[in-house]
Amino acid sequence: MSIKSTVATWTGKSAYWFLHTFRGGGSSLPGKLALKLDPAILKQLAKNYDVIVITGTNGKTLTTALTVKVLKEQYPDILTNPSGSNMKQGIVTTFLTAPKSHQKPLAVLEVDEANVIMVTKYITPKAFVFTNIFRDQMDRYGEIYTTYQKILDGVALAPDATIIANGDLPLFHSKKLPNPILYYGFDYQPDADEQAPANTDGLLCPVCQHILHYHRRTYSNMGKYFCPHCGFERPQLTYKLNALTKMTPTSSDFEINGQTMHLNIGGQYNIYNALAAYAVGRFMDVNPVKISHALSENDEQVFGRQEIFHVGDKAVTLILVKNPVGLNQVLQMISTDDRPFSFAALLNANYADGIDTSWIWDGDFEQLPKLNVPAYISGGERYRDITFRLKVAGVPTKDLTIVPDLTNMTAEIQKLPTQQVYVVATYTAMLQLRKQLASQGIIDGGMA
Amino acid sequence: MTYTLNAAHLYGDLMNTYGDIGNILAMGYYAKAVDATINTELISLDDQFDPAKYDFVLFGGGQDYEQTIVSKDLQTKKVPLTDYIEAGGPFLAICGGFQMLGHYYIGAHGEKIPGIAALDHYTLSQDNNRFIGNITIKNAETGQTYYGFENHNGTTFLGKGERPLGDVLQGHGNNGQDQTEGVIYKNTFGSYFHGPILARNEALAKRILKLALQRKYPDADFSALDQLHEDLTKNVVVKP
Repeated sequence: MSIKSTVATWTGKSAYWFLHTFRGGGSSLPGKLALKLDPAILKQLAKNYDVIVITGTNGKTLTTALTVKVLKEQYPDILTNPSGSNMKQGIVTTFLTAPKSHQKPLAVLEVDEANVIMVTKYITPKAFVFTNIFRDQMDRYGEIYTTYQKILDGVALAPDATIIANGDLPLFHSKKLPNPILYYGFDYQPDADEQAPANTDGLLCPVCQHILHYHRRTYSNMGKYFCPHCGFERPQLTYKLNALTKMTPTSSDFEINGQTMHLNIGGQYNIYNALAAYAVGRFMDVNPVKISHALSENDEQVFGRQEIFHVGDKAVTLILVKNPVGLNQVLQMISTDDRPFSFAALLNANYADGIDTSWIWDGDFEQLPKLNVPAYISGGERYRDITFRLKVAGVPTKDLTIVPDLTNMTAEIQKLPTQQVYVVATYTAMLQLRKQLASQGIIDGGMA
Repeated sequence: MTYTLNAAHLYGDLMNTYGDIGNILAMGYYAKAVDATINTELISLDDQFDPAKYDFVLFGGGQDYEQTIVSKDLQTKKVPLTDYIEAGGPFLAICGGFQMLGHYYIGAHGEKIPGIAALDHYTLSQDNNRFIGNITIKNAETGQTYYGFENHNGTTFLGKGERPLGDVLQGHGNNGQDQTEGVIYKNTFGSYFHGPILARNEALAKRILKLALQRKYPDADFSALDQLHEDLTKNVVVKP
């Protein structure tokens, strides 16, 4: 180890120790300090690791957590970064604070799309996982093609690493790459000929620029796609979802390559995350029965993003939404609930939420009135926009309560006529609501 | 419903990047108040556009790549679209759609991409800069204020026969120089506004809706629209 990286490592570790001991946190500061002293510090820190990089728009955090669970069945020593620490500094902090290890350990890293190249400059990963790329807060990230190119710029520095990609997304089959590629996807229904709804992104055939059709579409522009014009089609899948037996808001039962699986979290999108974790597990030679066991555990830490708390006699499920694809998937998941429920949508437009709220118009709120929801709440700083959206979707004014100030939310939730309540919220609206809940002792304070 | 409007969503599967479809949804919502309904049809690549068939056209914005594909196909619809606009057909063009009704725009790689020159504006590009943020404009004719969100690299310059949709009060507008935003030409409205513009600006939504209704049903009375005011403060919980 060079003197520079030794000093950088020592500084970072000391900073972490100080913050951890006296401030009760670590975050990105130790990584930031170490990077200041040695920009190439990752090269030293990660040199003994086999690294798996997980990137994409939606599902990075859960896919990373599920992958770690699956790999733990076989590999005791796995390093991973905490949710949200998916940029360069957070990743450096993760390595700085890793416990000492004598074998060749694994690192499973969730990496922000634009930060893949920051990692591959210093580390050659064993594999990349591409979950999906959707339109996401375009005021910050840009278009889907630009985002994919950012990822590929990083991957270009590791041409021998295997790519494990969602085969149902046309974008991941649009460019010739030197890397070996393994695809996963849904394949449990007979072929038909379907088209995606008009306001779906990314429908152009990458070969002949005509509109893609689907033998079966799962959601957004994903599925068993084909081009009726030139014959371009979904690549051969190595890992297939071959049966989907049951879906509820809190669980799914399905089969991957013939192996039955039970997942303690609802939503079709989470089955994709499980497929990705299965694919990495198989790639790393974990046996399917062990993978099934790992995925079926009811691990609250892993599934924490979907949070249920109690306000009086109400069971409230709080779900983060940030883009139309995610929102539509949440609505799909909610629709599998056979109990009566109320629905709340909270919209803020701060930087962390995405400052352009136009995307709510691509969300399929029109589904809600069909589900016989007896009561609705709309709220947050942009309550006018979300209220009008719900009204246009067909929500009757008499069923709708508007709560601009989220400090009134707990009182309003208690007035709802159903025991089950779903709250979808953008990032800062979620933080504000959590703060309120914490101050009333309903949940533990703070959010990592 | 007594009245029916036929809307064409031009390239809705390729040009709907910022919830543009919300413009039709919002218009449809106000239409209900005067017993009218809107049927929306997707007109995309290789489809014919029949100007006699439609009472409203929406042309949204797209991603760079999709727009290059659309700009080629659009040339095959140049004549019927121009006929529709010249005949006073109500038309709303947003962002890329607004640019493509003009002479040309500059693509992501500096290439000049032809529009259909149905309107007399042209669009240049900025080097490594976008106009991003909230925007407010004032329409000179009605005195109405419109609110939206702009996010564009292109800078558009209006031609002689074109009026702006509004004068910029806050934000950048067409080009960041002449304080204009959007365009009005006959019954065609263009703008960089996301939001979507008709969802966030009730007055403009009702104005365009009324144009479309009266063009199709000249003898009917739609003045009820003027009295309509969407109250988004009803049922608001006030802090105790």
